[in-house]
Amino acid sequence: MESRTKRTFKPRTLVITAVAWGLAVIFLLPYIEMIITALRPANELRDRTYLPDDFAWSNLIDVWGESTLGTNLKITLLVAGGSTLLVLLVSLPAAYYTARMTYRGRKLFLLLVLVTQMFQPTALLVGLYREFYQFDMLNSVWTLILTNGAFNLAFAIWILTAYIGSIPKELEEAAMVDGTGRLGAMFRVTLPLAMPGVVTAVIFTFISAWNEFVMGLTLSTEPEKQPLTVGISNFIGNYTVEWNYLFAGSVIAIVPVVILFAFIERHVVSGLTAGSVK
Amino acid sequence: MSATVSKTTDRGSGGRPPRRRSGRGILARLGPLPWIAPAVLLIAVVVLWPIYELIRTSFLKISTAGFVRGSAGTDKYKQLFEETDFAQVITWTVIWTVVVVGVTMLLSLGLAQLFNQNFPGRTVTRWALIAPWAASVLMTAIGFKWMLDRTAGVLNTLMMDLGIIDQSKDWLGQPGTAWPWMMFVAVFVSLPFTTYTLLAGLQTIPHDVYEAAKIDGAVGFKTYLHITLPLLRPAFLVGFVINLINVFNSFPIIWGMTKGGPDSDTATTTVYMFQLKSTDIGESAAMSVVNFAMVVVLVLIFLKVSRWNKED
Amino acid sequence: MNRRLIATSAVGVAMALGLTACGGESGGGDGGGDSKTVKLVAADYGDKKSNASKIYWEDVAKRFEAANKGYQVDVEVINWNDIDNKVKAMIQSGNVPDVLQTGGYADKVADDLLYKRSDVLSPATEKKLIPSFAKAGESDGTAYGIPFVSSTRLLFYNKEIFKKAGVAEAPKTWDEVKEAAQKIKDKKAADTPYGLPLGPEEAQGESMIWELGNNGGYTDESGKYTINSKANVETFSWLKDNLVKPGLTQPNPASTDRKTMFEDFAAGKLGMLNGHPTLIQMAKDGKVDYGVAPIPGKTGPLESTLGVADWMMAFKDGKAKKAAVKKFLDFAYAKENMLKFDEMYHLMPVTQEVADTMASDPKFKTLKPFTDVAGGAKFYPLGDTTWDAVSSEIKKSGGKAVVDPKQTLDDLQKKAEAAAEDQ
Repeated sequence: MESRTKRTFKPRTLVITAVAWGLAVIFLLPYIEMIITALRPANELRDRTYLPDDFAWSNLIDVWGESTLGTNLKITLLVAGGSTLLVLLVSLPAAYYTARMTYRGRKLFLLLVLVTQMFQPTALLVGLYREFYQFDMLNSVWTLILTNGAFNLAFAIWILTAYIGSIPKELEEAAMVDGTGRLGAMFRVTLPLAMPGVVTAVIFTFISAWNEFVMGLTLSTEPEKQPLTVGISNFIGNYTVEWNYLFAGSVIAIVPVVILFAFIERHVVSGLTAGSVK
Repeated sequence: MSATVSKTTDRGSGGRPPRRRSGRGILARLGPLPWIAPAVLLIAVVVLWPIYELIRTSFLKISTAGFVRGSAGTDKYKQLFEETDFAQVITWTVIWTVVVVGVTMLLSLGLAQLFNQNFPGRTVTRWALIAPWAASVLMTAIGFKWMLDRTAGVLNTLMMDLGIIDQSKDWLGQPGTAWPWMMFVAVFVSLPFTTYTLLAGLQTIPHDVYEAAKIDGAVGFKTYLHITLPLLRPAFLVGFVINLINVFNSFPIIWGMTKGGPDSDTATTTVYMFQLKSTDIGESAAMSVVNFAMVVVLVLIFLKVSRWNKED
Repeated sequence: MNRRLIATSAVGVAMALGLTACGGESGGGDGGGDSKTVKLVAADYGDKKSNASKIYWEDVAKRFEAANKGYQVDVEVINWNDIDNKVKAMIQSGNVPDVLQTGGYADKVADDLLYKRSDVLSPATEKKLIPSFAKAGESDGTAYGIPFVSSTRLLFYNKEIFKKAGVAEAPKTWDEVKEAAQKIKDKKAADTPYGLPLGPEEAQGESMIWELGNNGGYTDESGKYTINSKANVETFSWLKDNLVKPGLTQPNPASTDRKTMFEDFAAGKLGMLNGHPTLIQMAKDGKVDYGVAPIPGKTGPLESTLGVADWMMAFKDGKAKKAAVKKFLDFAYAKENMLKFDEMYHLMPVTQEVADTMASDPKFKTLKPFTDVAGGAKFYPLGDTTWDAVSSEIKKSGGKAVVDPKQTLDDLQKKAEAAAEDQ
């Protein structure tokens, strides 16, 4: 293994660097092509060229006027934010208790979580639609928050249970001896220590809700009530696909997530670490 | 909702020592209920109920217009199993899952090892690796469809310029070339998460283990095989299971690129289920139930392999 | 088992009502609801925010409400890609709208869900409908579907490409199509000489156009499905051997959607294809010098081309009063409204008065070749209650007929017969 003390450019490091950078470029290329397409004027869309003759920067502005994208973006923000909050509120207590206590039905609960993890909304769509129709909750942001929350709950509970389990009990017990209640101990001692796990759960839920497509498509029928992913796909029309607007919208949709990721990349690794030690 | 419940019950629990559940506190007497009930409730309403609805639908006779005409008994299942495409769809689902998960795990092992090294720009390159994760899978799939377009796709242009092909091809138009490309995209979008999980696993391996190995004379690949891999097992398992489920249920990639066509030649079970939706909802629900059964089998195998039961 | 029994409408309705009742609340048996609010669900013909159909319908609703105090219209407009599935889900859960505007109607007739046309349209309005379209709204002799907009298909060709390839005029027969396409290929005048979109988007349309060229079609005189008739097998065998195999079409017709072909044509990369009026505007936008001609048949141009109509229908189980629905539909079919819609989306009229106006207005000149052939146009078996199911099957696998004609058409015929028996 490489020692961390000095940066020496041995041939080995050189090769590793070259390969890693090469791979990084490969991973970015498809998205670069999307950005290029987003900037193509409509009449150059079907040209066999790497770059357009003119860059239509106006596409990035026009796309808002040509669609309900602004409203869709707002809904996606609400849904992603709302379901992340819901997941935290619901998963933290459950994960905490499951990590700390042995109780009857604990195994059953963990099994339920595992089974939930195995299901994806795609497989249950017909059932989901029928259910939320009966609740008269179609075309509602709340429905999307609930469903996105539920389908991401399992992973959050899993990660958090593992992470909290890795924090020594003694710390909490010490606090409780000092007269702090269990909840106090949980909030003041365990939660701050579990932050990387929480961050991981947050990022997973947020991204998956942000990018969710199938439920948004099924449970919201009106363009102004649909999340961004569905709004963008409406550029695939009956007679044409407006590729430039489609990708302009997609690029806009990626930006917030990339920024979020850039900030907490480090935490994701340490959060996952606990999940994988289990 | 859950917060208020636990907060009000909190006061009663005072300074009771933990673990002793015979205490007088309300919180303690309620046991796990206030803590896990919201989670169970959410799962029951959003995940379990639709499963019930689905199973019920698979036994109904529903017209093309969507009208419920009565019970169908097991007709829909019979109809499904008699479809000429059915065997082929199941076969491809298995191949798809095995290939994509297998290749993803292998490549991720390499990637994790690579990005665990110290080299200039490690943070930046790791950051680039995240792109397919941050973007919606559907958008990535549509992006690849666009790049493979016969008339204007940049990948066709590139391959022609490089002399790999002599005229632009309709890659996604026939199963023979569509499958490999879709598998490529599936691996592409699965790599970031898997690599990160394995990276996390690598960081849990204490440094002194390697030191010890060095003293024993183990070097290079041998160290990797005998020390790193076994210690990576838990992280590997997590990545493996999550991938298995995601890939098996994968919908947006195939839907975005070929919609399962021509006919059902590039469909997996979830995509086939969607195709059936336009001709017969009951049969589509039956397909969902079969899909569901396959997932249950996967779960059981996983429990068995990971000895999940024993661990607790 | 007791399919026949269920098919008899009386039992069917009784059972159905019982069943929908548990899926959600359902309206009254046959008299409709008692509300003065009409719920309209319509397809979105627009491709951007500024020409979304929602704008059109909300405007109609507003004017209708102003003219009829106390009445109200709830508008829900759904993307074309999703409307079939959404409507199905609505019906399945008992949540039907009062008025629906979409692609087909007959599958809803099978379950006795719709009002008869005469129940919800005043005689004056009904009389305005162009007879051929009005007729296509009949299922088993009774009219249910109300045509809303229409279109016909003609051959589009790129004049510049034809010139470059040395093709003097538009082909009139299949052999001439082949010859022209071969010239285009030899001279490398276009990426794709002939566009044949038999993918899931429009396979049923493209197939029928070709079948008509050989006096084939989906049904015989008596309405029985004849998908695998000798003429149809011959048609697809010809296509396979003369256009597809020699590489005169795009490589994989069975998986090519119409929009890809339209885009290529509008970008000047495709020699010729069958298209409908929307392609006019697209070609103009792409600055393509195009021509239109009658669709070539086996021995000569088609006398009656394919006509397509979209439909309006009213549900019995909606929550609005029948009278309210009638009032609204009569309003919606007023000349100014229909004309506005057709103009907005370059579609063709279904009422005589609008057709007359268009014929005399030079603004609609480019549409004229299409309206001229509307009178004799042939339709899908729209009135057949199994058509929607059969059409879905054709969309899914029909394109494979240019790979294995006999097998594909036999399979489809089998599915169609099973669907017919199931009714």
